[in-house]
Amino acid sequence: MSDATLPLPAVVRPCRRFRAPTDEAPAARRLLIALAVVGIAVLVLAPLIVVFAEALADGVAASLASLTNRDAHSAIRLTLTVAAITVPLNAGFGIAAAWFITKFDFRGKSFLITLIDLPFSVSPVVAGLCIVLTFGANSAIGGWLVAHGFPVVFALPGIILATLFVTFPFVARELVPLMVEQGRAEEEAALTLGASGWRVFRTVTLPNIRWALLYGVLLCNARAMGEFGAVAVVSGKIRGQTATMPITIEMLYNEYLSVAAFSLAALLTLLALVTLLIKTALDIRHADALAATPAH
Amino acid sequence: MGRPLIHRSPMPGLGLSMGITLTMLSLVVLLPIGALLWRGASFGPGNIWEVVNRPRVWAALFLSFRLSLLAALFNLVFGVLLAWVLVRYRFPGRRLLDAAVDLPFALPTAVAGIALTALYAPNGFFGAPLAALGIKIAYTQWGILIALIFVGLPFVTRTVQPVIGEIDREVEEASATLGARRLYTLRRVIAPMLAPAALTGFALALARAVGEYGSVIFIAGNIPLVTEIAPLLIVIQLEEFNYDAATAIGIAMLLISFAMLMAINLIQVWSRRRIGHV
Amino acid sequence: MHIQIDEISKAFGMTAALHPVSLSIPCGALVALLGPSGSGKTTLLRILGGLEFPTSGRVLFDGQDATGMTVQERRAGFVFQSYALFRHMTVFDNIAYGLKARPRAQRPTKAEIARRVTKLLDLIQLPHIAGRYPSQLSGGQRQRVALARALAIEPRMLLLDEPFGALDAKVRKELRQGLREIHDETGLTTVFVTHDQDEAMELADLVVVMSMGCIEQIGKPKDIRGQPATPFVREFIGA
Repeated sequence: MSDATLPLPAVVRPCRRFRAPTDEAPAARRLLIALAVVGIAVLVLAPLIVVFAEALADGVAASLASLTNRDAHSAIRLTLTVAAITVPLNAGFGIAAAWFITKFDFRGKSFLITLIDLPFSVSPVVAGLCIVLTFGANSAIGGWLVAHGFPVVFALPGIILATLFVTFPFVARELVPLMVEQGRAEEEAALTLGASGWRVFRTVTLPNIRWALLYGVLLCNARAMGEFGAVAVVSGKIRGQTATMPITIEMLYNEYLSVAAFSLAALLTLLALVTLLIKTALDIRHADALAATPAH
Repeated sequence: MGRPLIHRSPMPGLGLSMGITLTMLSLVVLLPIGALLWRGASFGPGNIWEVVNRPRVWAALFLSFRLSLLAALFNLVFGVLLAWVLVRYRFPGRRLLDAAVDLPFALPTAVAGIALTALYAPNGFFGAPLAALGIKIAYTQWGILIALIFVGLPFVTRTVQPVIGEIDREVEEASATLGARRLYTLRRVIAPMLAPAALTGFALALARAVGEYGSVIFIAGNIPLVTEIAPLLIVIQLEEFNYDAATAIGIAMLLISFAMLMAINLIQVWSRRRIGHV
Repeated sequence: MHIQIDEISKAFGMTAALHPVSLSIPCGALVALLGPSGSGKTTLLRILGGLEFPTSGRVLFDGQDATGMTVQERRAGFVFQSYALFRHMTVFDNIAYGLKARPRAQRPTKAEIARRVTKLLDLIQLPHIAGRYPSQLSGGQRQRVALARALAIEPRMLLLDEPFGALDAKVRKELRQGLREIHDETGLTTVFVTHDQDEAMELADLVVVMSMGCIEQIGKPKDIRGQPATPFVREFIGA
């Protein structure tokens, strides 16, 4: 290769025509990105912006004032109470169900998983109807409960049951695929080292599933605070007593109190945004500690 | 039955985890659904049919199902496009776009409902210019369709995204070396790979839309026979304390849900067989 | 077809995968690109196939500059390390793929496609598997189907990336012989990448030893064994 007559080495000749065979043409790529961005802007971001625009239509003061009356306060308090009760119950159930499903082999496992997922495919209104039929004053169970001074429907217990129903699979669905992926080896190792069952769960399992658990709890909380259809049916919509934030939003909206309705809605929207923010952070930071298969 | 019901295992906590699982499942899900079915059984299939067979109920069920199907179809196409863009392309704002996809999951349906109504009402930001063109969205079936598209938006994207991420680039390259143009590769190689996940997402979006209530009732206008959805009929019957009629419609909707749940499972079985799983 | 590589280099960002290399592959030769991982041999093969674009230099096919030619135009039969079979298609459809993908004017008739696929299945000695899916095949069968699929497009050359890499020792020996026979029968200029010196020495007419993005030596197997040109070759061959 020392021949002096060799042609000069070719310099970099960028070839405009070349693109990797796994890429789309630049024009097609730009078109697809534009469609995606415009689609999301129109379908998702526009409604988001409208919530805040309508809430602040009469200024910040009017918006804040609408949040400080008694009905708004009691709605916020009720929604927080419902979430504070249902989310831990749901997390406890989710952990127990995921443990039962992934650590033991038994017949009918896939049927059990189908049953746990069932609430996702039932209309929230039908869910509310089911609660009313089970615990309503004219049902057997409900009648007995009312007679003993413990009404369920049109009261807090009914709202909690309805919310539990619609959020039922959230935590379990995040945990089961992850715990299947992780297998049982670590727990078995801990057992052979003499750890007690509770200790195994606390020191081996829990650290492995904590981010997925947080993920499930977040989604569960967002749904619990925002549930409308099921709660609308069981709550009776008693102002100041059984009207949650979403129910109050509906009542205010129907009374043409737009600023008040959207101000309350903006609070829930902020909650949704915070949920998404944490969720995105989890997706980026702890992608490996979350199950590969998506929830819902 | 050679197989034991529960295999012996050294794992602790069988009793506790099984107890909590089955108790919660029974109390929260099975008992209420059982109550609905029980009420339906005592009302009688003949009576249920009589309730469902009224024009107003038929119209509502048909409307819910038809518009849900259209919304899910839109989401099928747009969801796959979105998933492709999010996985394959790098551009500023990609993370934001990715996060925005989940908003319909996180935003309460009632909030979505009033926001969409404000947006598409004749004096709204989108509604006003459309009204000037003589197009009415809010309080028509178009409004319902938009609300259903909104609530079903994330399903297809979220089921398809991981599948696109797992596609082996060599398969696409192989197609190119065999002389296939890019569009041919997308149609004959990529599309069949995405089909099972996309169909699962489609079925989930459809199931969600059929039962949707909160985001729809504000924008629907709720005119009987025209823009009245099936879940609203249940609410109306309940407000009149007409539990039997509510039960009948509820059972009809439950059957639709079960049918769709079955379809999802069949799709998964079919795809596992076709793609040769693993 | 005669392939000429003229001062080809390739950089991925700041790292150079190939320093300018030149190589002439005579018509109908069976050439091995031999070297450890990271030596640039796969990059060179991918540049020949049109899957990568060189940072500088030219590729000539029969004296014509082919550097800017797209993959589709090159008609290079490419066998991937993972075989990259289409999982959702039967063996028949996999092999027929390249013919069906042609524009309508050049597409053979259905009967003609079937005839050619059958012939190729005979060539790879697997006449009975047309209806099966890739997941139902053994590793060796998959490799042969990938080869048949590459041959179906009547390629101008055959490029194979570690064609025996994923197979166990016994199957590997058999398929080596199979590749030699197919090469001799078709007379195609064939380039394959390997890190296994026995494979290269036994199969190839011409062995190109590569290291760190440079060509260390080009020669017949016995010359490389007998007269290693550099200390690297001597050590790598273990002579």
